[in-house]
Amino acid sequence: MAGAMPEGTKVSKMTSGTRRKVHYTLPDDSELVEEFDLQTDELLVRKRRAKTVLGKDGEWVFEVGEPPARVTIEGDLLRPSSSNPILVRKDRPHAFEWRVRNLPYPKANYSVSVDPNEQQLVIRTANKKYFKRITIEDMQRAHLSLEESALSWSHENNTLIVCYKKPEQILKMEKEAKAMRLNATEAVAEDTTPPDCKQQ
Amino acid sequence: MKRCETAELDWNPNGNCPLRPNSSPRIPPLPPPFPPPLPFLRLLRCFSLSNLPTAALSSLAPRATMAASGVKMQEVKDITRIERIGAHSHIRGLGLDDSLEARMVSQGMVGQANARKAAGIILSMIKEGDIAGRAILIAGQPGTGKTAIAMGMAQALGSDTPFTTIAASEIFSLEMNKTEALTQAFRRSIGVRIKEETEIIEGEVVEIEIDRPAAGAPAGGKTGKLTLKTTEMETVYDLGQKMIDSLTKEKAQAGDVITIDKATGRISVLGRSFTRSRDYDAMGANTKFVQCPEGELQKRKEVVHVVSLHEVDVINSRQQGFLALFAGDTGEIKPEVREQIDTKVAEWREEGKAEIVPGVLFIDEVHMLDIECFSYLNRALESDLAPVLIVATNRGITRIRGTNYKSPHGIPIDLLDRLLIISTVPYTEKEIKQILHIRCEEEDVEMSEDALALLTKIGVETSLRYSIHLIIAAALVCAKRKGVEVEVEDIKKVYTLFVDVKRSTQFLMEYQSEFMFSEIQDQDADMTDTRV
Repeated sequence: MAGAMPEGTKVSKMTSGTRRKVHYTLPDDSELVEEFDLQTDELLVRKRRAKTVLGKDGEWVFEVGEPPARVTIEGDLLRPSSSNPILVRKDRPHAFEWRVRNLPYPKANYSVSVDPNEQQLVIRTANKKYFKRITIEDMQRAHLSLEESALSWSHENNTLIVCYKKPEQILKMEKEAKAMRLNATEAVAEDTTPPDCKQQ
Repeated sequence: MKRCETAELDWNPNGNCPLRPNSSPRIPPLPPPFPPPLPFLRLLRCFSLSNLPTAALSSLAPRATMAASGVKMQEVKDITRIERIGAHSHIRGLGLDDSLEARMVSQGMVGQANARKAAGIILSMIKEGDIAGRAILIAGQPGTGKTAIAMGMAQALGSDTPFTTIAASEIFSLEMNKTEALTQAFRRSIGVRIKEETEIIEGEVVEIEIDRPAAGAPAGGKTGKLTLKTTEMETVYDLGQKMIDSLTKEKAQAGDVITIDKATGRISVLGRSFTRSRDYDAMGANTKFVQCPEGELQKRKEVVHVVSLHEVDVINSRQQGFLALFAGDTGEIKPEVREQIDTKVAEWREEGKAEIVPGVLFIDEVHMLDIECFSYLNRALESDLAPVLIVATNRGITRIRGTNYKSPHGIPIDLLDRLLIISTVPYTEKEIKQILHIRCEEEDVEMSEDALALLTKIGVETSLRYSIHLIIAAALVCAKRKGVEVEVEDIKKVYTLFVDVKRSTQFLMEYQSEFMFSEIQDQDADMTDTRV
């Protein structure tokens, strides 16, 4: 990931709990955060946010992983009911994987395909209960087109699991990024004085 | 309905009239009757001696009211709480025709033909938007429609043009500098029309389900579910109280195609779905049919909207990072932030991304500003980002606040020189009658011709505001005696119950010695701030 960043990107890293977190600030003031498991180095979360035109912080958009299930004050308006299907992307070593939970209908109900015009995966249901177009940002960044043959899916335990096999180029890029990430030591402040934190 | 008729109709001290359950929040309770002192009786005799026709027989038929079940009542109450009747809610515009001539009675405006014509010319200047920093003074006696004209201008400009109304006393605060408060008011009145991407939910309503809390639970505890669908999918949303209110207000129902702005929660009904076109044989003339949306429910859409410069200031002056959690009030905004915003907006304008919508700042009771504010105004009006400033005052030649100098309208001559002055004149008897008639309609009060004539006479002799206030009081008295329309006797009754300024002053002058502190006859005891 780090290799694909534009010039002038600021990177900072930290370890918190069982996660290694990398924070990128892009030259256009938008932010990207990646979180990896310390033991397995699995990508758990990748989220982006950009400033709105007027300068307000936008919402976090989760590419991988799911937003924390928190009840916020803004939730006073409306929120999707917890019984709705939820889509979460997980990262597997050799594939992109999406899980749609809360889909209790039989397997015959679903169809998953590649839309070659829009370069998106499309999930449809015969009973018109769920519909989703999925863009694979990783493939778009590498300018790769989607192939129907790399796609597979299954349905078990009320969950629809969609898999898209990572092509060679993506695997190679991820390997390079991982090497860079592991080699680079965590940024340690040069002077050991603690940052200027006022006590109350 | 039947129950209402037989119900005890005695006056209830809480001001709740059993016949009109829904209007109770806006009716002030009547104070206990006040024995009218001598001068009042004298004035009353004047009225009865005048050549007014006698009151017609009052019909005893009960006033028709809405019979409402408990559930229905709750709903109606929720909405009426939002739309109360204000002092100027009958005004819908300036009442001008295409050639800017004032129509006699139109859009809630009566009389003041010259002032309205002048305001119309200013209005067309604002609409063109090329001229910045002009200022207009509306001057006239109390109760001659200065605020009404300003409200009319705001209504005529529409909701897209920023129109900020402040009273001059609002800017005096211990937390904020006077000039900062004025600057914020100025920047609230300049809009920027800009394209922004927002997330919206667009779908056809399948079902709205609102759970009513058990009786006695707080009113804020309502929850609900909304099911929306497109041609491809269906989603259930949990609703908060605010959302339920706006769904009720927009009268959204199953089969309507609606959009919800995710950030603000604003709901708009686009029309009815084609699949529901055969639900009823008869449809309203303006029922619009639309296709059920396709694809996903949530979409990103570019929306053009107007934000004020002040709002952009606030967004960009907020603390970043975790400090934002502790930032409550914005308070004063640093000049550097404002400069940054100004250059950013200028950039957007050059790139064609945004355009400036100059608005109006209306300062009521402008004589309450002090000399520092006036000199600030002189300078602020010279900026090319200044809005059109409208100020109103009811003072004649008076002291400028903060000095010992006297000046017309309490405004320094150098600022007065920059103002175009529109003056309002007292209403004629005919006009007062018209205004009272309009207010009767606005307050949903039926009044007999004689009662209106009497009220007009009261309006001429005392003041327009006093007679307007008598309308609803008389209506309540009328409802108490089960009358259908307000008669002369009702007006007479409230006239004795409520004293106007003239009678009150007269009473005070006669009985001054019996009031508290009357023994101190100190010349310096007046309450003016001459020491400043």
